[in-house]
Amino acid sequence: MPVAVEARHLSKTYEHRGGKTEALTNVDLTIPAGQVYGMIGRNGAGKTTFVRVAATQLTPTSGTVTVLGYDILRETSKVRARIAAVPQESRPLYFLNVDELIFLYLTIRGTDPRDARKRTDAILEELGLASVRKRLVHMLSGGMRRRAMVAMVLASDAEVLYLDEPTTGLDPIARREVWSAVRRAVRDGRTVLLTTHYLDEAEALSGRIALLEGGQVRLEGTPSSIRDRVHQPYRIVVSGVLGRSELESFGTVSPVEGGFLIFAREAPARELALLALSKGAKVSLGPVTLEDIFLQVVGKSIDADDTSEGDGKEGGA
Amino acid sequence: MTERHRLRSLLWIAYMNGVVPMRTQPLYLLSILASPLSFLFFVTVASHGTLIFYGIAGGMILTVLSVGTSLQTDMSHYRTDLKFQDVIVASPVEAPIYVAGIALSELIYSLPGLGVFVVLWRLNGPISPEAALSVVGILLTVWALATSLGFTLSTYFNDIRETFVFSSIVSLGLSVLPPVYYPISAIPASVRWLAYLSPTTYAAFLMQGAFGLQPLSLPSAAVDWLILVLAAIALLAIAAVKARWRDP
Ligand SMILES: Nc1ncnc2c1ncn2[C@@H]1O[C@H](COP(=O)(O)OP(=O)(O)O)[C@@H](O)[C@H]1O
Ligand SMILES: [Mg+2]
Repeated sequence: MPVAVEARHLSKTYEHRGGKTEALTNVDLTIPAGQVYGMIGRNGAGKTTFVRVAATQLTPTSGTVTVLGYDILRETSKVRARIAAVPQESRPLYFLNVDELIFLYLTIRGTDPRDARKRTDAILEELGLASVRKRLVHMLSGGMRRRAMVAMVLASDAEVLYLDEPTTGLDPIARREVWSAVRRAVRDGRTVLLTTHYLDEAEALSGRIALLEGGQVRLEGTPSSIRDRVHQPYRIVVSGVLGRSELESFGTVSPVEGGFLIFAREAPARELALLALSKGAKVSLGPVTLEDIFLQVVGKSIDADDTSEGDGKEGGA
Repeated sequence: MTERHRLRSLLWIAYMNGVVPMRTQPLYLLSILASPLSFLFFVTVASHGTLIFYGIAGGMILTVLSVGTSLQTDMSHYRTDLKFQDVIVASPVEAPIYVAGIALSELIYSLPGLGVFVVLWRLNGPISPEAALSVVGILLTVWALATSLGFTLSTYFNDIRETFVFSSIVSLGLSVLPPVYYPISAIPASVRWLAYLSPTTYAAFLMQGAFGLQPLSLPSAAVDWLILVLAAIALLAIAAVKARWRDP
């Protein structure tokens, strides 16, 4: 399978007044071409640092990264000719309308104006932006604005697209508007590197997923292979009758609203479900969610913020 | 990118940032004229009309200097707040093309303002072709100088508010204290040497010469040109050194 982005022993340490921050430590990652690659992790995990290095915006401290076989440091212009990026929290210039945002991005990249016109019209039509084409981009709703930014890079002839948290802060409906655009990108064989801290989003869109924590890759693979690799691939929720001590022999127990959540291997999971049913408890059994896996691997929820001690659940940025 | 692609890319950037905002936000054009016109007004009124040409020449220089300030604020804003520079970095567009495109866009954006001063100039007398040519040359050199300085300053600030504070100090030093709006003889002799530290002083001498306000001998014009051009080259070189396309 052709490779879009390959990182070997990649490390990045930021130096600043307060000292040093090691944002990436010895990261090895192979991102295959032609699919969405989801990079998940908490705030500060190192996602943006990875994307910025791979997008030639940031110099790595050590290690190598190649994009479509070209080295990001030694063959920078070959890399830049083939990539496009929507940086985290980037916003369009405030005086551009949707049409100009896309058309001018293309012509500035060097696309022939006639070709740029065609590409712009096509992408506006395809992503349902045609009716707002003359609206100033910064006047659009958050979802539509992000979608316009994604449309902009989609309309280009770049083969590798970097989308850094394109849906953060959007409501669920707006997020889905962006999803359709991302799906559209890989239909014609392009690669999307997508970072997110919405696990459902990573699962819904990605062919493969990497889980970053503390600047290291903690899990990597297709969503289903990741499930296979966790210790306890089943989740059981039991409410009533059974106490915590009775449950602990089956797996890892944590209290949830009205009962307990147990992560378990297959055999004990089945056993526990039968036991609970026979005792008349309410029980649900299923494969672990990506959320559960994250909790198992990292020991914290993906929304947990290291800087704010306490209940750990933040209301989303 | 080929040379042709580079040039086209530069011109599209200039169009995007120089022409499109004129159409979307025409009122902003007036803000460019605010300070040059008020200086012209004060100088003219305070001198009972005798210094009106100084005011027009100074207004042109100040307008082009403000192009450097606009570049500085745009570059900071686009890099830090909008992350637009990162969008361009991850594309085939090269750094000098981006900077030159933005610099040209700011010049285009200032053309309506300059036009007002040209009209005022014409209303107050005929314009000779030689004078027009000198003025264009002087203003282009000031443009190179101002945008290089603006670019260098933009690399120091990550916060747009710092940018605003600093740019008003710089424009004070470059346009109000030097004899841009009045003859240098108006500055007390004891501090006159200070004026010679600013490159805009030489631009002002040349402008005042082109307007026929101060007799300008060929040797002294040559010296003024030399200093002005050297200052522009020096600032351009500093800007090139400070340019950082990929973060360290
Ligand atoms: N420019 C910078 N200077 C210093 N530290 C930084 C800088 N950018 C990011 N960091 C630090 O590097 C770590 C990784 O950050 P980042 O890559 O932005 O993570 P993520 O995108 O996953 O939230 C964090 O600890 C962050 O504070
Ligand atoms: Mg980030």
